[in-house]
Parts: sequence; C-alpha cells; structure tokens
Amino acid sequence: MLSLDRASLRYGPILGLSPTSFELPGGGGITGLLGPNGAGKSSLLQLVSGLLPPSGGAVRVFGEAPFRNPAVLARVGLVPEGDRLPTGLRADRWLRMMGELSGLSGEGLKAAMARALQTVGMADRSHLTFARMSKGMRQRMRLSQALLHEPELLILDEPFNGLDPEARLTLMALLRDLAEKGTRILVSSHILGEIAQLTDRILLLFRGRLLAEGTVTEIRQLLDRHPVELRLTGEAQVLARWAVEQPELAALRMEEEAVVLSVRSPRDFLPRLQQAAAEGAIPLRALDPLDLNLDAVFQYLTKDHA
Amino acid sequence: MPIYAPTLPPAPDLTLGQPPALVLMRFDFTRLWRQKIGRFFGFTFLLLLLWKVARIYLDHLLHTNQALKPMQDFAKTILTQGAAFQADLLNPASYLLWFLVALVGGGLVARDTLYRVRPLMYAHPVTPRDYLLAKLGFASLLPFLILLPFALLPWLMSLLLAGAQGPVWVTAPLRLLPAMAISSVLMGSLAVGASSMAATPRAGVGWVLGLVLGASTLASMIHGLAGLPAVDALNPILLAETWPQLLVGVERPLVAWLPAVLGTAFHIGLWTWVAARRTRPSEAVI
Repeated sequence: MLSLDRASLRYGPILGLSPTSFELPGGGGITGLLGPNGAGKSSLLQLVSGLLPPSGGAVRVFGEAPFRNPAVLARVGLVPEGDRLPTGLRADRWLRMMGELSGLSGEGLKAAMARALQTVGMADRSHLTFARMSKGMRQRMRLSQALLHEPELLILDEPFNGLDPEARLTLMALLRDLAEKGTRILVSSHILGEIAQLTDRILLLFRGRLLAEGTVTEIRQLLDRHPVELRLTGEAQVLARWAVEQPELAALRMEEEAVVLSVRSPRDFLPRLQQAAAEGAIPLRALDPLDLNLDAVFQYLTKDHA
Repeated sequence: MPIYAPTLPPAPDLTLGQPPALVLMRFDFTRLWRQKIGRFFGFTFLLLLLWKVARIYLDHLLHTNQALKPMQDFAKTILTQGAAFQADLLNPASYLLWFLVALVGGGLVARDTLYRVRPLMYAHPVTPRDYLLAKLGFASLLPFLILLPFALLPWLMSLLLAGAQGPVWVTAPLRLLPAMAISSVLMGSLAVGASSMAATPRAGVGWVLGLVLGASTLASMIHGLAGLPAVDALNPILLAETWPQLLVGVERPLVAWLPAVLGTAFHIGLWTWVAARRTRPSEAVI
C-alpha cells in the first residue's frame, strides 16, 4: 500500500527527512509514527500525503507517486495538525466543499456527509459554526472531512493534541473501529502513551531519521546494547543464586522480596526461566518486564542516536 | 498488533463532481453572498447604476419632450456624448470598485493561509493550479459581474428608447465587454497576489490597498518629476479606467496604447507569479 525507498526531503539547506525506507502492508490496521518535535514526522506525512515531492528517492502509495496525483489522493484522507479552522464558517458548509473537492456531488455527497458525521458523532451538531465548537468537536470535524470519500489510507498528524482525556479515548476508539473495518491508518504523535494505547506497530523517527520499525517487542529485541530488565518476585536469595549461573545475565539488583535482572537475549533466557519455575527449581511468584514498553524503547533509541 | 481486515467496502464514485477550481470559486461566491459587505456594496452599486440609467432616460426625455427644449443646452453639459460617454459607462466610482476588490480579494488567499486550509485542499485531488485559478477567477469575476449591468443596462435602455439614435452606441458592448474583462483580470490578479503575501485577511486588505495606492503614487511622482506620461501605466487605477477609453476610441485616453498594454501585462504577470509562488505546496506546511 505504502512504500518509501530512500525517500528524503529537504527544505533548502535543511534536511527534513534523511533517506528513509519502509513499507506498510495493505488492509486495515494502525501504524504509529513516533518521534519528538522536529523529528521529521510532518515531513514524512507531507511526502506520503502527496503535498511535496521527495527531494531524493521514491514514495509510492498504491503503487504510484502521490505528488499531484489525483488517482492516489482520491484514496487518501489527511487530517493535518492544528486547530485552526475558519471560525465564522458553518461546519457542514465547509464539509460539503471538502466533499466536492474529493469529487463527490449530489445525493452521493449528501449520503457521504451523513455517514462521515455519524461516524465521528457530529451528525446533530454540524450546523454550528467552528467558533461555537469545542476543540474535540473541531477535531472530529477535521476527521470527518478525511473520511468523506472513504479513503483506504488515513493519515493523521498529531490528532490528540489539545484534546481532553475523554475526547482522546473517543477518538482512539473511533480510529480502532475504522482500522477494524479495513482502513490503514498512519497516525503521528510525540507522546508515547498515545501511540502505545493505540497500536503496537510503530515507526520511530528522530532528527530526521527512521530509527526503528516494527512492534515494540521487535524493536526492543534489536537493542542488544541495552539488556532487558526483569523483576522476579519470590525468595530473592534463591532466585539470585539461580540467576548468576545463567550466561545471559548482565547485571543483578536485590530488592526486598524480588530480584531485578538485566538479561541479554531474553528469547534464550525466558524459556529456561519458565522451565526452572515449572520444575520447582526456583520459587518464582511473579515476573515483570520493566523496560519492554514504548517509553523505554524510545529512550534507548534516541539516547543512542543523540 | 495491527488489525487486518479483508477489504474495504466499495469506494464511492468520485468522478461525477465538478472541477475543483469551480467548487472553490462557488464556495467563495457563496461566502461573499452571506456577508453583509456584499449587501452594502450591492446597494451602493445599484444606486450608481440607477443614476447611469436615469441619465439615459433624461437624455431621451430631452430629445422627445418639447416642454424640456429650453433645458437642452444645460443638459449637454451633464450628458457628455460620443466615445467619452461610452467609456464613462464603465466607471462606476472606480475607487469604490477598487475598495471592494481590496476588501474581498485581500482575504481570499490570506484566510486560507491563516487557517491552514491549503494543505487540506492539496491533500484532496486539487492542484495548486486549480487553487490559483479559483482565486484568480473569483477575484476577476467579481468586478466583471459588478460592471456587467453598467455596460448592458444603459445600452439596452438606450436601444429600447431611441434605437440606433440613442446616446449609447449599438456596438458599445462589443467594445466594453473586452475592456471590462481586461480591467477585471488586472484587479483580480493584483488582489490575489497581494493577498498571498499576507498572513491574515485584514493584512491582505492592507496589502491590496497599499500596492494599489503605492503604485499609483509612485507612478504620479515619477511622471511629475521626470515628465514621462508613459510611467502612468504603472498606476493600476489609471490602467483600469484606460481600457474602456482605449477600446471605444477616446481621443485622449489616460494612458496610451503601448504603455497600457505593457503596464497591464506587467501587473497581471507579476502578481499572478507572486500568487503562484506563494501558494505552492511547499508553502502549505502541515
């Protein structure tokens, strides 16, 4: 569905995105584009949504270059970052224009508007002007314009910015629902928790470079330099004695009723731990991976490339 | 893990819609129609139009009503005839028209810049050319549509009242319509170019007025200092008034043919180029 082959983007002398390659498969699903401010997320989204041509390399969406390509753009929906909308304008009139720009008209347009407004839960409030809408309502209207033409690829740039927790959860549920129905969603954010809640598949960008691609677990496994931290709860002395005999152990820290291990190659270590616990060789009550979350992955990768 | 679904439902038919430039232009016209500014200018221009038509009727009365015979000498002073009269039909308070173009046109591109609408549009099947065409089309069509009744109604009135002997030439629309088109494109391109340089609609109005008045003042100063009347061709207000005069064949137009052609081409070319540069996708940062 979407592929970048050493695609890069320059703004004059400034490199917005280093040569980057990755592919997104067809079918529904959510992919998170993660990175701090200035990482190149918006640059990448501009390439993918056909706003700008790549300075080098190639971008393919549905097998074609998206830049100024109506055939591709008609299958893509974009929700740009920001909250600025023409304040005095009625939302439904703005939505109608966006639908017409997508090539819809007449009864088809009316049906598409009704469907999109229903999807985002704005069917009964679309007659309001943008000035009279809350931030969450405006964000939902922005999403509705991207859904009008039922895109196969939906791109959202920082969609959760400024939303209250309830609106965030609503939007996340909406995106999950769209993904289940077959839409491929690419969503960018600089907040790890948001992406972690939404999807397991991420693209990690930092300083214009794609650092990692895959699930959090897959990426974590690539980080050989940073052993996985595991907390084993049980009789700490016995657990520690067993752990020091394991070749994957890199470090060990004692706690009151637990032992925290730094382990290389968890794929080899964990089955052996499981077997020992099953055979009763170690008094293990609980196992907690401490740094198999997105925060830790992000910290490790960005620290390495800083 | 990502969620995979087999396929999407059939996509809607996207081939039946109107061209994007037309959609955008219609949207701008609809928005203007709903604004009070349109009603104010509509009323003002209507009054001016009534005055023009009344003059034709007065002329008719003076020629047909014997009781008004003694007033004919006086009437000749207010009812100029010939080419100058034809050209004057398209001069409904030139400054007012420019002011309207500045007020409406100044916000055309600037509003989209302020609200970051262009990235959204370019993410649809809308090219920068569509966008520019829509904005230029709207900004040019607006003065053209305002001028249209000024060219046609007096002509129709004159034709109905006095036929070929009326004060408005039978062939006047053939000369006035092209003049209107050129003046309108001049106004439209200048307004869109100026608006594209502004970050807010209000600043856009300032840019248009600044450019129009600035260019006029500059041209007048150079004309006065260097004694070069051809420099008046830099003055967009004079240019807009000159084209009807040139096309109906006024003996002494405000600007001569060659400078008028060059000046108009310069303004249209320059401001369209500026607008095209400022509305490129690279300027439409997400």
